[in-house]
Amino acid sequence: MATELLMPKLGLTMTEGTIDEWKKKVGEPVAKGEIIYSVATDKLTNDVEADVDGILLAIAVPEGETVPCKTVVGWVGAAGEAVPSAAAAPAETKAATESSPAAAVQTDAAAGKTARPVGQYVPATPYAKKLAREKGIDLAAIPATGYRGVVVSRDVEGFVPAAATAAGAAAVKASPLAEKVAADLGIDLADVKAAHGRVLAEDLLRYIAATREKADGETADAREEVKAMSGMRKAIAKNMQNSHMTSPTVTFNLGIDMTEMKHYREQLKAKEIKVSYTDLLVKFVAKALTEFPLLNCSVQNNKIIYKHYVNMGVAVALDNGLVVPNIVDADKKSLTEISAEVKEMARLAREGKLPPEKLSGGTFTITNLGMYGIESFSPIINQPEVAILGVNTMEDKVVVRNGEICIRPIMNLSLTADHRVVDGSVAAQFLQRVKSLMENPALILA
Amino acid sequence: MRKITFSEATREAMAEEMEKYPEVFVMGEDIARQGGIFGQFKGLPAEFPGRVIDTPISETFIVGGGVGAALGGARPVVDMHFADFIGVCMDEVFNQMAKARYMFGGQAKIPLVLRAPDGLAGGGAAQHSQSVESWFIHIPGIKVVAPSNPYDAKMVLKAAIECDDPVLYFENKVLYKETGEVPEKEDEVPYVIGKARVEREGKDVTIVSYSIGMKNARAAADELAKDGISAEVVDLITLSPWDKETVINSVKKTHRLCLVSECVKQGGALAEVAATVAEEALEYLDAPILRYGAPFTPIPFAPTLEKLYRVYPEDLVKGIKGVL
Amino acid sequence: MCTIRCFEESVKKDFLNGEIPGFVHLYIGEEAIGTGICGALRDTDFIESTHRGHGHCIAKGADVNKMMAEIFGRKTGLCKGKGGSMHIADFSVGMLGANGVVGGGYNLATGAALASKMILKNDNVSVVFFGDGASNRGTFHEAANVAAAWKLPVIFVNEMNCWASTTPYRTTTAVENISDRAHGYNMPGVIVDGQNVFEVYAAAAEAVERARRGEGPTFIEAKTYRIEGHFVGDPELYRKKEETMEIFHRTDPLKLFKDQCPDGIVFTQNELDDILTAARKKVADAKAYAVSCEFPEESEFFKDVYVD
Repeated sequence: MATELLMPKLGLTMTEGTIDEWKKKVGEPVAKGEIIYSVATDKLTNDVEADVDGILLAIAVPEGETVPCKTVVGWVGAAGEAVPSAAAAPAETKAATESSPAAAVQTDAAAGKTARPVGQYVPATPYAKKLAREKGIDLAAIPATGYRGVVVSRDVEGFVPAAATAAGAAAVKASPLAEKVAADLGIDLADVKAAHGRVLAEDLLRYIAATREKADGETADAREEVKAMSGMRKAIAKNMQNSHMTSPTVTFNLGIDMTEMKHYREQLKAKEIKVSYTDLLVKFVAKALTEFPLLNCSVQNNKIIYKHYVNMGVAVALDNGLVVPNIVDADKKSLTEISAEVKEMARLAREGKLPPEKLSGGTFTITNLGMYGIESFSPIINQPEVAILGVNTMEDKVVVRNGEICIRPIMNLSLTADHRVVDGSVAAQFLQRVKSLMENPALILA
Repeated sequence: MRKITFSEATREAMAEEMEKYPEVFVMGEDIARQGGIFGQFKGLPAEFPGRVIDTPISETFIVGGGVGAALGGARPVVDMHFADFIGVCMDEVFNQMAKARYMFGGQAKIPLVLRAPDGLAGGGAAQHSQSVESWFIHIPGIKVVAPSNPYDAKMVLKAAIECDDPVLYFENKVLYKETGEVPEKEDEVPYVIGKARVEREGKDVTIVSYSIGMKNARAAADELAKDGISAEVVDLITLSPWDKETVINSVKKTHRLCLVSECVKQGGALAEVAATVAEEALEYLDAPILRYGAPFTPIPFAPTLEKLYRVYPEDLVKGIKGVL
Repeated sequence: MCTIRCFEESVKKDFLNGEIPGFVHLYIGEEAIGTGICGALRDTDFIESTHRGHGHCIAKGADVNKMMAEIFGRKTGLCKGKGGSMHIADFSVGMLGANGVVGGGYNLATGAALASKMILKNDNVSVVFFGDGASNRGTFHEAANVAAAWKLPVIFVNEMNCWASTTPYRTTTAVENISDRAHGYNMPGVIVDGQNVFEVYAAAAEAVERARRGEGPTFIEAKTYRIEGHFVGDPELYRKKEETMEIFHRTDPLKLFKDQCPDGIVFTQNELDDILTAARKKVADAKAYAVSCEFPEESEFFKDVYVD
């Protein structure tokens, strides 16, 4: 009996995953404990080890394909052993399967329907669907404001497709399906040759087939190189895009006089307590967040969910991307606890061993680019949070204090907030509060 | 315009039809000497001697005899006292009245009206308060009407009496006392069975109802208007065969549908409207279809419990706002 | 009576051959009742019949060709092929329909009588046929009471054939004679030999007269016996075939009629034979007509649900 390989469920919130890479080929031997494939979620990439010895008999889910958790992705067993026939087919017709979203699009196109990749059903009212179909807008691109998070007609009527605003994009005539698929696959429609006037899904399929033949690393232009995104890169891309589409943001900058903070850190150091500025920021910002619940909430279906806890995300840069583990209940933890946890998270992140649950459930994020000398930036919100604090470099600046010119260490904080819930005045007051806490560290004890 | 009660309106309709057609007569329990338990037959016996008949408490005869009288060439109106009692003579309604024309290949004509006072009346409890119209819209061969105001009460009853098919006329007990404008006879516009009326135009949601449910529909529309929400109110009037076209056209305009009636929601008369709109106009819906009706319990006696049995305009307002 | 007998025999054969859809219930052995009763009626009088109604229909004067076509489900049938054996009707001769619901006819006949007497003010009489089984329906009580209370021109004709489907009447009914119940409604209850067409006719004529005079309903109990099974194809596990046939030989109304017609006085024996031969031919022609006709078209499907 062949052993099924499954799409693992890595953490409570994971519902689907993408096969990032098969480390073994069909027919290759597999030893127990050996890494057999890797799985990407929207948070991170995990390796899956074989738990039996045998041969990789068949692959049901090819690289790059996303399936729900617990889906059978392949089989390991004895040489020559049969795998369930229904599942054998996809492995044999891997090429066809790889293009299955497009194939599905093609089928639906024949029926005159708007399609989207399997597994991404967009709840929408029948009338909204009808309107979207008529206007050639893909539902997946439309933010929902209706009851129970459903796309309703007004969402479609008020929707301006991103493509329409992009210069030049409108010049290429294409069917809604072709536009959708092209957008999903990152293909510029201008590159696709249309057989009959406007670009149709089948033109796109032809184009994809042609370019796929050139394989990785080959492009028409010898000076260019094509490389598939890693699972993590795809996840970051998707999350960033999603955040950008979801939240109307405003970024606020405020300089903090770090004189007292530096002094405070020295005092701690003297007591053998070594903390980084990031650790201090986690502590101070967590305190401020307890006073400004609107900065520590999330938005869902026209409702605001206030979080009476602070799970502080700390962005950790990796060689190939970025992860944001969070410090649970940061507002209730001591500085030393925070410091230890931040260090441990960073280590685990770099080793790729972060437990998935650490990557979800955050309520606010801090991202620090100060070590690169950055003076100001506008970070993108880590959804479903509503604000993110960018930390910049600290440098000595000439300032006026009590009518006198003096030099002080100044650090800029860049707060990006979601204007759906956080108005400018609220964001400003929050930053003010962070500033006053950091300029008077003793207040943290209050 | 003159104002009369729903009850008076039905009486006028009876008198005018009895005057016009000598073959029209009415029979039922307690209608001649008492004038009907809701006074809806007052004065008729004196005006039409021998044609307003008190029957024994024999529901199978009242309806079966009505069918027989129709077969024999008369144009009977029979009164069911309380709609709840139709259960006693179901065979006469659905195997005899409804089937005679079809199974005899069109030889029979059953110009019969079965009048059935229905609805909650305050303490009537389980066997004197029901709204049972939904049972009958499932039966081909009979027509079902349920007017919501005095003018319709009169015009629909006249149309029912003149109709050569059997008609179940559901008249709500609470509505009997309600007054409303009814034009003089010469200004009347005849009602055509099967037609609904858009009573109020709107653009955000269509509220469909009939009979007493229209009170909820109207009140909810008023309430919604205060918040700038414009509800179109459709009075179905005829439940079978119902006016699909008017309802669907309204849904195409407003894209939302809210149904309200006093009968039990499960399998209620408007469930058919919901199903048909889902079948034939789903692509025009921009919200789930809302349905309001009674809970799935017999009707309780205690006022505190009977209160819970009712639907209120606030229920509709809240529901509609939730899907806008 | 001859036409009814031949009709039923023909229907039985054709049903067993699978030519007739649905169910059929035969009147063989009970012909004298329908014949005797309807013989006393005018075309404008009404009858309400039963699921065992072919005999009533023929006796009331329905066109046999159209009847047969109806039983065969043809578009030329009395009911355009929409009713069949159990719902046969011919309004042109006052046959207001067989009724598929046992005991469904009492109120209809009583209502028709009410219309005649109280509303339309004519002297039409209504007859309702029913078996001993149907006499236990509550509808009998409601109709009989009203008919007697208002002295309506109704005649309740009980075909006491001893069997309610498969149940002998004695096991479910306390009274010896169903007509005993008539007294409870203050109407005359008459017992006649249902095999004797003269006796049935005489009772009917008197009841009709009484009804037309405005004196109210009469209950006629015609004693008979159901010779055939409840329906064609009934295995009759509840009784002995020999016993039934013995009764039939003794009480066959056709034979009794012959015996009661002394040769040459009313009919000669030859004339009687000719009547039977003519009836056979009439029924054979009816069958030929029925099968020559087409089934109803699909366009007929939605017609007659409503008048308009």
